[in-house]
Amino acid sequence: MAEQHDRVLAALELREPDRVPVMGMVTDYTSMGEILGKRPLPLGLFFSNRVMARVTDLLASIDNYAAFVRLAMDSFTRGSVAAAVKMGYDAIWVFYLPTWRYLNSREVRDIYGRMWEADLDSRGNLKSPMYRKGLITSPEDWRAWPKEDIFRLPALYNRIFRRLQREYGDRIFMFASFSAGLFELSWQCMGFERFVMAARKEREFIERMVRFYADLYSLIIEAVADAGIPGVIYSDDLAYRSGPMLSPKLYEEIFGEAYRRIVDTAHGQGMKIVMHSCGNVYDLLEWFVDCGFDGVHALEPTAGVDLAKVKEMVGDRICLVGNMDVTHVLVDAGREEVKEAVRRSISAAGAGGGYIIAPTNSHESMTVRNLRWMVEAAERCGRYPLGEM
Amino acid sequence: MEDYLGYLDRVKRALADLEVDEINPLLKGALEAGVKAPDLLNAMSAGMEVVGRRFEAGEYFLADLVLAGEEMKEGVEVLKPHLSAGDTGGKGAVVMCTVKGDIHDIGKNLVCIMLSSAGFKVVDLGVDVPAEKVVEAVRGNSAFAVGLSVLLTTMVGSIGEVVEALRSAGLRDSVKIAIGGACTTQELADRYGVDALGRDAVEAVRIFSGWAA
Repeated sequence: MAEQHDRVLAALELREPDRVPVMGMVTDYTSMGEILGKRPLPLGLFFSNRVMARVTDLLASIDNYAAFVRLAMDSFTRGSVAAAVKMGYDAIWVFYLPTWRYLNSREVRDIYGRMWEADLDSRGNLKSPMYRKGLITSPEDWRAWPKEDIFRLPALYNRIFRRLQREYGDRIFMFASFSAGLFELSWQCMGFERFVMAARKEREFIERMVRFYADLYSLIIEAVADAGIPGVIYSDDLAYRSGPMLSPKLYEEIFGEAYRRIVDTAHGQGMKIVMHSCGNVYDLLEWFVDCGFDGVHALEPTAGVDLAKVKEMVGDRICLVGNMDVTHVLVDAGREEVKEAVRRSISAAGAGGGYIIAPTNSHESMTVRNLRWMVEAAERCGRYPLGEM
Repeated sequence: MEDYLGYLDRVKRALADLEVDEINPLLKGALEAGVKAPDLLNAMSAGMEVVGRRFEAGEYFLADLVLAGEEMKEGVEVLKPHLSAGDTGGKGAVVMCTVKGDIHDIGKNLVCIMLSSAGFKVVDLGVDVPAEKVVEAVRGNSAFAVGLSVLLTTMVGSIGEVVEALRSAGLRDSVKIAIGGACTTQELADRYGVDALGRDAVEAVRIFSGWAA
């Protein structure tokens, strides 16, 4: 097995690898094109140009349009992994979302019952749509919501990840991921205010939805494990900059059992599983450990997360992943500043292993140049045994 | 008198303790017993203040603030027929929005509710709002402050557009601007020359109250 695999696995198992591994994500056409030296497909024109947008409006009404969007998604996902390999990442968080249904050139609905708005980046390239609202606001809506497309997901994941593993599995450690975690999915299906009220007054409605998606995610994990993928990133934004959105007690009550089931499924398949949450997660770290996650990702400095403090709190029980700032360091900082940020993070969390350096998130304003500097600095500063830093 | 004050205390405590099923029946009962709607509104605001303090102390979480806000909204609906225009919004008008290019609204909505309950007239322009709309609303409502919410790092430039539009319209000196949202930092506030950065809805109320004083 490749050195990247061993390096990442060692870190996840809280052992010292040869050096601190680097994980990345490639989530936009602009960066992918730049890394691969290819011009991105001008898909943005189908949304921004008035005439082409009319074509999209017409295409969207055709029955097999979903298949066309899925092909574009397959192509994007393969390109993103190829780009990650070329960047020299040891691991990639792979985004594969065959869940969008473009209703027209402006509106996107996903198969989970969320409405989104089509969006372009500053260079006119297509990027991830922006969440607008939920369509499932009552138990009746949930019962009636069509689920055929949802049931097809495990097979789709197996097909694409089998191909990815065959093509790139010997050069990079892949973490598969889902569209959103159980908390995000359940609140976004109905809107946050409605979710909060339902969690208080209609708990059974929420719990039924959570059980359904825990079943689905367990099936998807089995499907990607069958494809040979070694890891999963379970992404569920539970916190914002001041702390958790719900109380830790409520998270445990509503999601605890489902989280443990997802973790146990991954471990049962011999996979590693990393929890991702944006925001200030101090109050949730013990819970992540208790649920059995192998790693925790994001650890955002802009949300006030101090990596050294996290290392002290849980670093002997869970691998820390992330902490590279995406508001300045990986956007418009100079080379020395990037190097210093990498050095600081490795110094805070690298001792004894158990740290994977990575951006806290991904967006199109991050520059490929700065990401390369991050990789370069990690290769220089991250060799074990770590020297004086 | 004892009953009168008892009703007010129970309304305040029900909201503060997030006893969500109790508030509306309590308000209806109090109105029937002759308790004045503006006093009940003040009692709910006092309850929201307690919620804010408990949030800052780490006892309550974002969802608790939202829950209290939703109850406050429902309570105001019960009181509305008994309130006159002068009973609300006495601390002045604040224009609130999520900036152009961004459509996230949880934080913005929460700040709106908290400001309303603290006695401000809130002009909520919604999400994805261009700078010129903000200028129009400030002028049309004689607002003394603007609150801008932004979650997406890629949209922070829209903050600068609002600041510039207010300056061009000759309103910048008479209007305070606060920003908040996941990607906002003090560095960003300094870069665009805004007056304050709010970490959360409770801090936002403190900032705007300070300016209104």
